[in-house]
Amino acid sequence: MAITYDRNTQIEQQSLLDNERVLGSVMLLPAIVYIVALVGLPFFLAIGYSLSDITVGDPSLDFVGFSTFRAVINDGTFQRSLLNTFVFTVVSQLIVIIAANMLALALNKNFRGKWLIRFLLLLPWATPIALGTIGWLWVLDSVFSPIDWLLTQANILGPGGAFGPSAHAYWLGKPTLAMISVITVHVWRLIPLATVILMAGLTAIPQDIRDAVAVDGVGFWREFFEVTLPLLTPIMAVATLFGVIFTFTDMAVVFVLTRGGPVSSTQVLSSWAYFKGIEGGNLAQGAAIALFLLPVLVAVVIAMLRLARRSEVL
Amino acid sequence: MAIVETRDLKRHFDKVLAVDGVNIATEEGEFVVLLGPSGSGKSTLLRMIAGLEHPTAGDILIDGQRVNHLPPRARKISMVFQSYALYPHMTAYKNIGFPLKAEGLDTATRDKKIRWAAGLLGISHLLDRKPRQLSGGERQRVALARALVRDPAVFLLDEPLSNLDAKLRAMARDELKQFQREIGTTTIYVTHDQVEAMGMGDRVAVLYNGKLRQFGTPHELYEDPADTFVATFLGSPPMNIIERDGRLVGFRPEDFLPKVVWEDKEDLVTYDFHVTRTEYLGADQYIYGIVNTDVGETKIVSRMPSMVTVPIEAGSQYDFAVQGHHQVYFDKQSGKRIEYEKV
Amino acid sequence: MKQSKILRPGLSRRQFLQSVGGLAALLALPRETVFRRPTRQLSGTLRILQWSHFVPRYDEWFDEFAVAWGNEVGVEVIVDHVGLTDLVPRTVAEINAGEGHDLIEHIAPVPQFEPSVISLNDLNAEAVNRFGDRVGLSTRASFNPVTDNFHSYCHGWVPDVGDYRKSLWAEVGKEDGPATWQDLIDFGAPIRDDLGVQMGIGMSNEIDSNMAARALIWSFGGSVQDEDANVTINSPETVAAVAFMKELFEKAMTPEVFSWQAASNNQLLIAGQASYILNSISAYRSAQQVNPEVADDIFFTPALTGPDGIGLASEHVIYNYIVPTHAENPDAAMEFLLHLTENYDQAVFNSELYNFPSYFSTTPDLLEGENWVGDDPFGSNPPDKLAVLGTAEEWSTVVGHPGPANAAVGEVFATFILPEMMAKAARGDLTPEEAVAEAEERIIPIFEKWRDEGLI
Ligand SMILES: Nc1ncnc2c1ncn2[C@@H]1O[C@H](COP(=O)(O)OP(=O)(O)OP(=O)(O)O)[C@@H](O)[C@H]1O
Ligand SMILES: [Mg+2]
Repeated sequence: MAITYDRNTQIEQQSLLDNERVLGSVMLLPAIVYIVALVGLPFFLAIGYSLSDITVGDPSLDFVGFSTFRAVINDGTFQRSLLNTFVFTVVSQLIVIIAANMLALALNKNFRGKWLIRFLLLLPWATPIALGTIGWLWVLDSVFSPIDWLLTQANILGPGGAFGPSAHAYWLGKPTLAMISVITVHVWRLIPLATVILMAGLTAIPQDIRDAVAVDGVGFWREFFEVTLPLLTPIMAVATLFGVIFTFTDMAVVFVLTRGGPVSSTQVLSSWAYFKGIEGGNLAQGAAIALFLLPVLVAVVIAMLRLARRSEVL
Repeated sequence: MAIVETRDLKRHFDKVLAVDGVNIATEEGEFVVLLGPSGSGKSTLLRMIAGLEHPTAGDILIDGQRVNHLPPRARKISMVFQSYALYPHMTAYKNIGFPLKAEGLDTATRDKKIRWAAGLLGISHLLDRKPRQLSGGERQRVALARALVRDPAVFLLDEPLSNLDAKLRAMARDELKQFQREIGTTTIYVTHDQVEAMGMGDRVAVLYNGKLRQFGTPHELYEDPADTFVATFLGSPPMNIIERDGRLVGFRPEDFLPKVVWEDKEDLVTYDFHVTRTEYLGADQYIYGIVNTDVGETKIVSRMPSMVTVPIEAGSQYDFAVQGHHQVYFDKQSGKRIEYEKV
Repeated sequence: MKQSKILRPGLSRRQFLQSVGGLAALLALPRETVFRRPTRQLSGTLRILQWSHFVPRYDEWFDEFAVAWGNEVGVEVIVDHVGLTDLVPRTVAEINAGEGHDLIEHIAPVPQFEPSVISLNDLNAEAVNRFGDRVGLSTRASFNPVTDNFHSYCHGWVPDVGDYRKSLWAEVGKEDGPATWQDLIDFGAPIRDDLGVQMGIGMSNEIDSNMAARALIWSFGGSVQDEDANVTINSPETVAAVAFMKELFEKAMTPEVFSWQAASNNQLLIAGQASYILNSISAYRSAQQVNPEVADDIFFTPALTGPDGIGLASEHVIYNYIVPTHAENPDAAMEFLLHLTENYDQAVFNSELYNFPSYFSTTPDLLEGENWVGDDPFGSNPPDKLAVLGTAEEWSTVVGHPGPANAAVGEVFATFILPEMMAKAARGDLTPEEAVAEAEERIIPIFEKWRDEGLI
C-alpha cells in the first residue's frame, strides 16, 4: 500500500505542473492582465465617466444617469461624426481591399525593380501617421497643392478648365472633397499593410494549386474569383479586421487634416470625443461619444473572427 | 504517330541544367514512366510537357503539333499532382467539374461527366465532401477524376502515389495501371520508385542529371542496361560491378550463386567469394562478401533463393559462379555498355 | 533683424554692453534681473510645464531665467516644454493622475480646471500690490466672479492685430489699410478680383477662425454671453455679423478659408498670398526671417470697427499659469510668478514684443519714452510700424467678452461652434438667422452643464 500511495502523490505532483488547464491559465495570465488593464479598465472607466458629470477639472464621479448620452446624441455634430466614422471606415476599407488585391497580384509577379516597388509601397506604413498626414496636408493645401498644379497643367482646373476657372480645388475646403481627402489618406495608409498581408496570403497558396488552375484552363477572372479569392478570404478578413479597427478608431488623420472641418463634415467619433471631452473640458460627454466606438468594434471583431474560422479551408 | 514527343529538350535554372537534351516519343495508349533519383529532372520534364515550364531549348510535340507556345489548357493534357492540388474550398463534385466549367460546358453535361468519372473511380458517395474530409487515397481518386473528365490526349502524373502508405500504394498502383488500360489514354508517369516504374510502365525512361540514360521496356532496362547508372539504379540489390581485365563487368546478384548450384552448367565464371555477412529475407537470402579484382578487393552481393539450401557461413570462403552470358560489360571511363571482346 | 542677430538670446544687459558697447542699443534693452527676497521660506523642487513659445529665444531666456531664480532662492527648477496641442491633454492627464508639475502655463483661459487648482487670490492681490493695475482682460481670463476665485495667474497676453499688405491696399486706393470691417469688402473685393490676392479671415476649426468670429460679432455689437454668463448669441447684431461674413466670403475670399489650420494664414501672408489677416505679430516676425520683402510690405491695423464704431479684437494668446492642487511646491510656484512679473520686460523683449504684460508698470520701455513699439528693436522697416500696438489694450478683450472667460465659453471655443456658424452661413448651408439659431441651440446646453457644475 505504501508504494501505491507514494506513486499517487508523485503523479499528483507531476500533474499539477503538467496539467494543461493549470499551465494554460498560468500562461494566459499576462495576456488577461494586459487586456484587463488596457481594454477593460478604460472601458469601465469610460462607462463610469459617461454616467457621471465628470469634467477635466473635477474628476469626482457624481451619477447623473443617461442625461449625458441624451445631450451627446442630440448634437448634430455627434450625429455627423457617427455617420462619418462609418462612411470613412466602410468606403476606405472597400477601396483598400480592392486596391490591395490588385497590388498584391501584381507584386507577386516577377519583374525587374520589384524590390523597389515593394519598398516604396511599404513606406506609408513605416511613416508615423501624423507625419504622413502632415505630408498630405501639403499635398492637399488650398494654395500650394501639387495636385492642383498638375490639374491646372492638364487644363482640368484653372481658366478654361473643365472644373475651372479657379486654379484650386480646395481639397480641404469643401465638404465632399474633404471627405474624399480623409478617405484617401486612410486608404494610402492602410494599403501597404493590406497588400503585405495579401501577398503573404498569395504566397501561401501552393504552387500546385496554381498549376492545377493553369492545367484546368481557367481564365484570369475565374481563377481570381473562384480560386484565389476564396483561398485568400481568411487572411483578407484579418487584413480587413485590422483596417477597420485602425480606421474606425483613428483620430490622427482627421485631427491633422481638417480638425473635423469644413463645418463638421469630416468630424469622426474619436476626434469629436477629443474636442468635446479634452479640449472642451466635458469629460463625461467625451467618454460617452467614445463609447459609441465600442459596440461596433466588438461586433466587427466577432464577425471577422467568425468569418475567418468558417472559411478556414487549408 | 507519337502522342507526345520531345526533341532535344533543355531547361536551365540559372546554373543548373535540370533537363539536358531529352528525346522521348510515346506511342498511342502507352504508359511511359519517367524514372530517376531525386533532382534528376523528371518533374521539370513533365511540367514542360504540361506547359507549366518553358523549355530553354528544344521542341515539344503533342499529336504531332509543336506546342511550345501553347498554354497548358490548349495542350489537351490533364495532370495529377503529387499533392493532388485539389481546391480546398470546393467539394469533390466541384473539384472534378472545375475544368469542365472552364471549357464552358453546360450544367447538365457537366453533371453527367462528373458522375461518370466518379463512378469509374468509385467515389460517387464522396462527391459532397471537401478535400479535408477525404483520406489520402480518396483525394487521389478525386484528383484522377478531375484529370479524367476532360477526356485528354495525355495524362501527366507526377508521383501521384507518393503520399500514400506502402500498402495502399501497392493497391493503387494496380488499380491505376488497370484503369489506364481500360481508358487507353497515353500516360506519362513520374516516379523515383523503380518498383513502380518496372511494374507499371510499358516503357521506362531513366533520367539522371537531366539526361536521358535509357528508354526501353522494363525488361530491356533490366537485362540490357545502357550504362552503369541504369544497371545499378534498377534491381534490388543493384547489379554487382567489378573491374576486371581493364573493363567493368556487371552481373545481377540473383545470377551470382554458389558454384555447386550451377551443377554442370557450362560457360561459368567462377569467383573466390569471401563471405562477410548474410541476411535472411524470407524468400531470399542476401550474401555479402568480397572478391578480388584488378583494383583489389570489391564488395559484391549474391541473392540466393531460400530454396537453395547450401549452407553459407560468414567468415568462410566459397566458390561462387555466374554464367558468362549473364555478364554485361561497360567501358571503364564512360561507364557505357560495350560488347565483350577478347583482348 | 540686424539687431536681433547681434543679440544672443538671454543675453544680459551687462554682457551686451560689454560685447557691443553701443549706446543706442542701451535704450532698446530690458533692465537687469531684479531679485526680491521671497516672503516665504522656499526649498525643494519646482516643476514647471511650459508652452513651447513661438519665439525660440523666449524659451532659452525663460529656462535660464527660471534656473537663475532657483539658484538665488534655493529651489531646484525643472522646466519642461510641450507644444500647443499637448498642453490641455497633458494637464488633463496630470490632474487625473493627481501628480505632475507644480506650475503649468496655458495660452488660453483654463477655467475648466478650477476645481482642481489652488486658489491664487492672494497671489493676484500681492501682484496688484507690487506692480499696480492689472489690465482688465487679464482679470477676466483668470478670475471667476461666481466663485470669487482666481483660478489662474495671468502674466501676459498677445494682441491680435490686423496684418495687411500695404502695396496691395495702396493699389486700390487705401494705403493705410482697412479701418472698418466694411473696408474689407469694399477694398478686399477689388484686391481679390483685380490683383488676385484674397482676404484671410478663416472659418475653420482652429484658433484664428475662432478669434476672428468673435472679433466680428463684438464689433457688430453682439456677443456669445453677457456679463453674467447668460447666452446672448441670438441677436440681430450677431445675425448682421454673420451676414457680413457671408458677404465678405463671397466678395473677397475663397473656399480655402474653410480648410485652414492655425498656421495657414501665417503661411499665406508670408508667401504674399493674403491681403489682410487677423493674427498676432508672429506671422510678421516669421516673414521677416523668410521673406523680408513681404515683411517690409506688411503693416498693422488695430481692431476693425463695425457699423456703430465699436472695434474689438480678442487677445490672440493669454497666458494663464495654474497651480494644480496636487502641486508639491505651491509656495515656490507663486514666488516664481511674482519674480517673473517683476522682470516682465525681459519676457516681452525676448518674445520679440509678442508678449504684452498684464502689469504694464513692469515694462515701461514697451510703450513709454523711446518705446519699443515705436522703434522696434527687432528690425522693422520702417522701425515704427508696430506703433499700432501701443493702443492694443483699448481694443483688445478676452474670449467671453463682455463677461469672464468661463468654462462654458471655453467649451464653445473648443468645439468650434462660432467658426462653424460663420461657415454654414457663408457656404449657404443655412441663412445667417438659421446659423445663429443653430449655434444658440448648441451653446445653451453647454452653459447649462457648466452652470450645473457651479462654475458659471
Ligand atoms: N524553379 C526552379 N528553380 C531553380 N531550380 C529548379 C527549379 N525547379 C527545379 N530546379 C532544379 O532542377 C533540378 C531538377 O528538378 P526536378 O524537380 O525536375 O527534379 P525531380 O527529378 O522531379 O526530383 P524529385 O524526385 O525530388 O521531385 C533540380 O536540381 C532542382 O533543384
Ligand atoms: Mg519531382
